[in-house]
Amino acid sequence: MSHLSSSGWKLWRQCRRVLFILMAPVLLAQNPNSEAKVRKLLVEAVLEADETRQIGLVRQLSQLPDPLVGTVLLAWRQGGVFLFDGPSGPVPFLLETQNDPQGKARGLQLVDGEALRDEKGTELKFQASDLTAADTTSRLRKAIKTSLDLLALANPDPKMRRDAVLKLGQDQDLEILKPLQERELTETNAEVKRAYVEAISFIELASDDEAIRVAAVERMGALRSLNSLSFLQKLVSDATANPKKYGAATLKAARSALKQVQDHQGWVNTVGTGFRGLSTSAVLLVAALGLAITFGLMGVINMAHGEMMMVGAYTTYLVQNQFRAWFGPSGASFDAHFPVALAVSFLAAAMVGLVLERGVIRFLYKRPLESLLATSGVSLVLQQLFRSIFGAANVQVGSPSWLMGNLAISDVQFAYNRLFVIGFAFFVLLLTYLLLTRTSLGLQIRAVMQNRSMAAALGVRADRVNMMTFAFGSGLAGMAGACLSQLANVGPSLGQSYIVDCFMVVVLGGVGNLVGTVTASLGIGVTDQMLQPWIGAVLGKISVLAAIILFLQWRPSGIFATRSRSLEG
Amino acid sequence: MGRTIKLREQWILALVAFVGIGVVPALNAWVPADSLFHISDFRINLWGKYVCYAVLALGVNLLWGYTGLLSLGQCLFFSLGGYALGMHLMLKIGRLGQYKADIPDFMVFLEFDKRYPATGGLPPHWVPFHYIGVALIAVVVVPAVVAYLFGWLAFRSRIKGVYFSILSQALTYASMLMFFRNDFTFGGNNGLTDFKFLLGFDLNQPATKRGLFIASMLLLLSVYLVCRWLTGTKFGLVQRAIRDGENRVLFSGYATADFKLFVFVLAAVIAGLGGALFVPQVGIINPSEMAPDKSLEAVVWCAVGGRGSLVGPILGAICVNALKSYATRAFAEQWLYILGGLFIVVVLFMPRGLVGLPDQIKAIWRTRLASRRVTPSDEPSVMPSKAATRTDE
Amino acid sequence: MKLSLKSAVAGVAAGLIALSASAAETVKVGVLHSLSGTMAISETSLKDVLLFTFDEINKKGGVLGKMIEPVVVDPASNWPLFAEKASQLLEQDKVSVVFGCWTSVSRKSVLPVFEKDNGLLFYPVQYEGEELSKNIFYTAEAVNQQAIPAVDYMLGEGKKKFYLLGSDYVYPRTTNKILKKYLLMKGIPESDIVEIYTPFGHTDYQTIVAAIKQFSAGGKACVISTLNGDTNVPFFKEFANAGLTSENCPVVSFSISEDEFRGLPAKDLVGHLGCWTYFMSLKTPANKAFVDSFKSWLADPKVTGVNYKVSVDPKNRVTCSPMNLSRMGVYLWKQAVEKAGTFDVDKVREALIGQKFKGPTGEVTMQANHHLINNVFIGETLATGQFKIIKSLGPVAGEPFSDKFLAGK
Repeated sequence: MSHLSSSGWKLWRQCRRVLFILMAPVLLAQNPNSEAKVRKLLVEAVLEADETRQIGLVRQLSQLPDPLVGTVLLAWRQGGVFLFDGPSGPVPFLLETQNDPQGKARGLQLVDGEALRDEKGTELKFQASDLTAADTTSRLRKAIKTSLDLLALANPDPKMRRDAVLKLGQDQDLEILKPLQERELTETNAEVKRAYVEAISFIELASDDEAIRVAAVERMGALRSLNSLSFLQKLVSDATANPKKYGAATLKAARSALKQVQDHQGWVNTVGTGFRGLSTSAVLLVAALGLAITFGLMGVINMAHGEMMMVGAYTTYLVQNQFRAWFGPSGASFDAHFPVALAVSFLAAAMVGLVLERGVIRFLYKRPLESLLATSGVSLVLQQLFRSIFGAANVQVGSPSWLMGNLAISDVQFAYNRLFVIGFAFFVLLLTYLLLTRTSLGLQIRAVMQNRSMAAALGVRADRVNMMTFAFGSGLAGMAGACLSQLANVGPSLGQSYIVDCFMVVVLGGVGNLVGTVTASLGIGVTDQMLQPWIGAVLGKISVLAAIILFLQWRPSGIFATRSRSLEG
Repeated sequence: MGRTIKLREQWILALVAFVGIGVVPALNAWVPADSLFHISDFRINLWGKYVCYAVLALGVNLLWGYTGLLSLGQCLFFSLGGYALGMHLMLKIGRLGQYKADIPDFMVFLEFDKRYPATGGLPPHWVPFHYIGVALIAVVVVPAVVAYLFGWLAFRSRIKGVYFSILSQALTYASMLMFFRNDFTFGGNNGLTDFKFLLGFDLNQPATKRGLFIASMLLLLSVYLVCRWLTGTKFGLVQRAIRDGENRVLFSGYATADFKLFVFVLAAVIAGLGGALFVPQVGIINPSEMAPDKSLEAVVWCAVGGRGSLVGPILGAICVNALKSYATRAFAEQWLYILGGLFIVVVLFMPRGLVGLPDQIKAIWRTRLASRRVTPSDEPSVMPSKAATRTDE
Repeated sequence: MKLSLKSAVAGVAAGLIALSASAAETVKVGVLHSLSGTMAISETSLKDVLLFTFDEINKKGGVLGKMIEPVVVDPASNWPLFAEKASQLLEQDKVSVVFGCWTSVSRKSVLPVFEKDNGLLFYPVQYEGEELSKNIFYTAEAVNQQAIPAVDYMLGEGKKKFYLLGSDYVYPRTTNKILKKYLLMKGIPESDIVEIYTPFGHTDYQTIVAAIKQFSAGGKACVISTLNGDTNVPFFKEFANAGLTSENCPVVSFSISEDEFRGLPAKDLVGHLGCWTYFMSLKTPANKAFVDSFKSWLADPKVTGVNYKVSVDPKNRVTCSPMNLSRMGVYLWKQAVEKAGTFDVDKVREALIGQKFKGPTGEVTMQANHHLINNVFIGETLATGQFKIIKSLGPVAGEPFSDKFLAGK
């Protein structure tokens, strides 16, 4: 659960709590003065003038199971330990986290945790910006960091432990090797265990013993560890440049391990690109499906399509805020907001679509090019309206916890929100397909779209069908907006960033054809993701646009042209 | 529409020319600044900009109003013309830039001297732009070539209607992304700016601004006359026939694709010329001018003024931009409502734009007088208009 | 609503009288920030803080005894319109000074206008440098006041691999170019520096995040981000979902201040870093006073002493570095005007050099190169949308030209 605690502070707050519980009996059983001892050592470390000795003390501190060590070391490293000029030399202290109204806080002495007082015994208060922090050199900060990582090996969160293990390994510090090997024995989590093997191998690369090095290299190759890629590359280039220092066996082992890892990386990248292409396609499909209805079926050039998505995204924002007010900022009830938001967004955007159809679009069915102008006017008005209501800035839309994080299968990562979008695209597609083919409304829609006057003559209430179709298309756009709020930003210009892409998808697929829309979004999405690693995002996008323009020369009505006998259909 | 210009129209043209080229600059130059009749340098410059927009609108109108091709990429050609002259202006800054170098500032900073050591850092395609003649030719030729290539591809495969609009939009969007890149050697997002001299005249001098205004007016008048002449010829007749029923024209033995291609290239050249005069007056050209919404705005000027007439687009471009200048100052936070509302109102209620408004009012008045019993149809007061696009069925 | 003709005439007349009465005692000041279009998201806050500052000054008697009268225009994120509005402010409204612009291109677009009309512009947003106009004062962070200190900090943290990620336009390109040079000078091999750009409004960061994941797999890697405001949301969401954190690959962003943070997924950004010359969380009395009075002003926004209707959005407002720099610009100008004893641009410009102001972060000084000596801080983002200051780097003299400050390193 990486999102839960990524900052060092949070790490410590958690770590402290658990350590307290775990260590309480131990601490009690030990000498009751142990805390005093720890504090004494800390003061000594802060005040030590010699850097090497200071680093030694810091290293020593990492062996102590007192939560205070972590707190103080972290504060020290970030410049939060201050020195007070007492009568008998400098007194190290920390600031209390609580401020008074003037922004000042009490200073807590490191030596006993008591507040600093002046000669008369009144408590002193300080402001962080007025104080000078205890000096740290970059070497010292590094040592503190290593100690913190060592302490983090006891963190209850396996992800935290894994990160700490890897970081310790990446330093390639032979001194760390022993503590790591000791800790490895007590580790139970498979993922963390793997990290231990990797980390220990990294460190062993720095060993002078060729046999150990070769063994480490072979372990890396066998693990197909992507983390070791840069180490192996460096080793190969070093060993080639300096064959005397590293033996031939090292070079040979390194080469074959590198090949193993690179092969694995190639495989990971291929599968990853496939998945990313699929997910981009799903985003495009979800975004364009509404337009495939309003533009593809109805022939309305709806430039306000993007704004319908914006309506959906803002609705999600409102629903989320409401749920937060009801159920607090997390938990299962809060997480239920998202499905609700999807439904409400559909309704909200459909309502706006209904109003738009009645107010503007219905006068323009016979003038498609002019519907383009009118709807772009609508798009401007809606953008400014949302800017007036919600402010010009983007709004924050969070994700339910079940959409965060990823599923990693053999180093390929499948982000949950991406998986969701893919699933959602299927769902919406199915919904639309069923509506169009299996309901009487769908039949009527198709009739009206094929020949408006003929359908009307046969008793279909064309006016009403138009209205419902447009509202449905807008509703789909609204749901797309809700869905996209999980991937991108929600702001007044949200619609603008998708509108060109949406039109491209519909035009490329062939107007009035759902299969075409699906194929086109797949084609664009996969091509884009395949091109990106090669030529970058900008040129990738330009190439895709150019390819579409050229493709349409070849098939001017898109991939799947609707066949019609009418000459100017 | 006759082939010859009627007397009344001749008089109006002469009057506009006299006011635009004579009176306005004179009021700017010779009337003291505190006089009621004085026209400030700021106004001259502003109006010069409007006039360039009017030229662009004329091009859009030639395509949309007369040929039924709604291009959403006209600002690409406008910008290309602007870039072509802008490149020359950049080279004429000389050593007056930040770095006191022979090449434009952004090239110094991006270390083009390492990329193009042979020319002292100037990319080879920039070299000919030292000559104003080359720049002027490029103003015409570059948009024409781009339009020809795109148009040839599009019309050959009979892409039309909405498809054409969307594709032209994609073209300008892709070009915008391209020009955004620093590597594309046209100044990236910042574009070309800080121009100093044109033909040796200091661009900051009021007299130069006046000259540019007069030049813009002359351009507008000539483009108007060209369009006026063209629409009066048989070519113009075919053009309008294509708008109203392309297949019938095709079956009558006309190569409609060639006609369309010609008009598209001509409109691109017109846009390019407008852009070239626009750039020295506003002092900057950058890729945002190619953004799809700019081209859309140009279409709206046409619609507001009244497409399918020649005066309409000019009127529309000037009115909308004047409104924009005014509203962004007076109602800084509400003006998008005004602009957006205008789009909708014009499309719904004024299909022939400002130009058609008097007729429309007259018609409504006449219906009212004729019979008050007639119930209004559920269509709003849409006039059957000569300019209405063909229907889809 | 029907107004009788008489009352309308009376109203207009009263307005005219009021206008002519106040005209003698006011000084016009231009505000040139986009209130619509793509840049409104950032620039609206600067307009607000400027109006707030004018109110603050007017309450204390104005400048040289004259009330500041704001002339607010909307260049609508349209660069030629910026030039038009600038000349309108200078030539029609004859303002004494203009505060405005956010993007470099908008500044480039108005620069010739300011030089031609000899106007005065204060520019408050971090930028790429390589420019120095006698008519512009850059209260903004230059590259050596933001990017270089941030990279120094990362180097100090033991980072060895740098992923330079930016939106594809001039500020990121230029900053990254300078950073790359700097990193090479610091002994980072070229193979460990990656430079990647994405288009404006890019929403799909899957490929890039996957690349960063592999880039950082060997450890000691960090991302230096010059992505512009909007694209940060998809980037950070993707980043967090890929299991990347500030622990295994910290991101330093130059375009995310507290104000941008309002639209970002806070949870995904926790622990990543920012480098600015101001943070809202600074605990100085001057900053507290600034933040508190700005917040109470938002509840009842007005500009004392002049007839100007202020409309602001008071919800969830914060202060940030560009806002602080805007405000300090106004004060620096006020002090210079008072020193010069006139609003005359040439004299004010002269008086501005060496002008000192004690702002929320301590004292700043305007140098002869039109950039500030300002205090630089490194902050770590918190889930509250604020920054926890983790390092204070002290005063750094702004220098626009990279060859100069790189030579000094």
